[in-house]
Amino acid sequence: MSERALLDQLVDALRCLPGVGPKSAQRIAFHLLERDRAGGERLARVMAEAMTRIGRCERCRTLTERARCAICADPSRDTGLLCVVEQPSEVVAIEQATDFGGRYFVLGGRLSPLDGIGPAELGLDRLEALLAEGGVRELVLAISPTVEGGATAQYVAELAAAQGVAVTRIAQGVPLGGDLDALDSGTLALALAGRRAF
Amino acid sequence: MGASACHGFVLHRHDYRDTSLLVELFCVGRGRLPAVARGARRARAGGRAALLQPFQPLWLELGGRGEVRTLTRVEAVGRPYALAGRALLCGFYVNELLLRLLGREDPHDALLDDYQVALAALAAGGDLEPVLRRFELRLLDALGYGLALAVETATGRPVRATADYVFEPEQGLRAATATDDPRACCRGVTLLALAADAKPVDAEQRREARVLLRAMLAPHLGDRPLRTRALFQQWYGRRG
Repeated sequence: MSERALLDQLVDALRCLPGVGPKSAQRIAFHLLERDRAGGERLARVMAEAMTRIGRCERCRTLTERARCAICADPSRDTGLLCVVEQPSEVVAIEQATDFGGRYFVLGGRLSPLDGIGPAELGLDRLEALLAEGGVRELVLAISPTVEGGATAQYVAELAAAQGVAVTRIAQGVPLGGDLDALDSGTLALALAGRRAF
Repeated sequence: MGASACHGFVLHRHDYRDTSLLVELFCVGRGRLPAVARGARRARAGGRAALLQPFQPLWLELGGRGEVRTLTRVEAVGRPYALAGRALLCGFYVNELLLRLLGREDPHDALLDDYQVALAALAAGGDLEPVLRRFELRLLDALGYGLALAVETATGRPVRATADYVFEPEQGLRAATATDDPRACCRGVTLLALAADAKPVDAEQRREARVLLRAMLAPHLGDRPLRTRALFQQWYGRRG
């Protein structure tokens, strides 16, 4: 009876994973128990350690188990270039896809006035202090192009401007391999307005 | 009930599950209602997430039954109202008022027109405060909480431009007395200007109109403070 309860607990716990419903949770639980005990044990070990040890970088607020993340601690990174993103996953995406050589600042979300998410919740006082230390010459806004993202970008831009830091924003336009006529009109308008010399 | 189409706006949206959006809509003939846009955040959703944003006039097709409808199609009707800076915060404020004060599925088509007029005025730039005051008055009227601003409520006596007045919840406007807090008083000239939809002439009139409307809205908003007002104060020091 108690073994049955433990299995239920496992299935139930697995459902906290995104996209995993009752059926998938059951499948994963049986797979680990019947076919891959070693994998399951490793997962449990690493998961437990990650959950207790991973915190936020004191400088850029991305996820790390150290006081400062690897990027902030890397002396070869350009300290004059600061890219502001919403989520730690976006730091990874930019690192993998580009040769951006500066540092990051992770907001952890965007200003959402109607949900009560304001400047304090996004650590913008920390960003302000970081800019006040000096050394940053360009702040790159890599914030999602939604109405709320626009409000966030504007707030950050005002902070930076107050410290005399130049502000840029990543380009918006047609995705690679996309068809113009399938594009939403807002993106198309921005793409045309933001055209540049060829 | 089958699918039905209407014009409307998104007042607010939340991520829902992995790829969907939960939107709160304000529609012609329907009023405020929630709907789910399944898969709208997928890369191949054809820009639905880009369309389903506040301040974008939309054509919406809603299916399903029950409290939360399913959004089956959405198209843009013109461009979004381009709000930035203070105007954007004002837009969020107007949306928060609607979310807090409109009941669900209670049609308010005249108010929806006023909403579009307000968004257009905010997007046009210039003086934002009178736009908010006018919309607040229209909103109170639409909800049945409106007040004739050119007369004393209890006596029906016409408001005199040179006298001072006080708004009391559930009682309306009355002439101010010596014991009233002068900061809560409103001059007759301000009331008459609001009643005539005229622009405020000076900073004191703006302050009085703001205090008056805040007092008129407060009983209907309840104890929870308006979040956009708090953000406005954080961002710009004070005022709302």
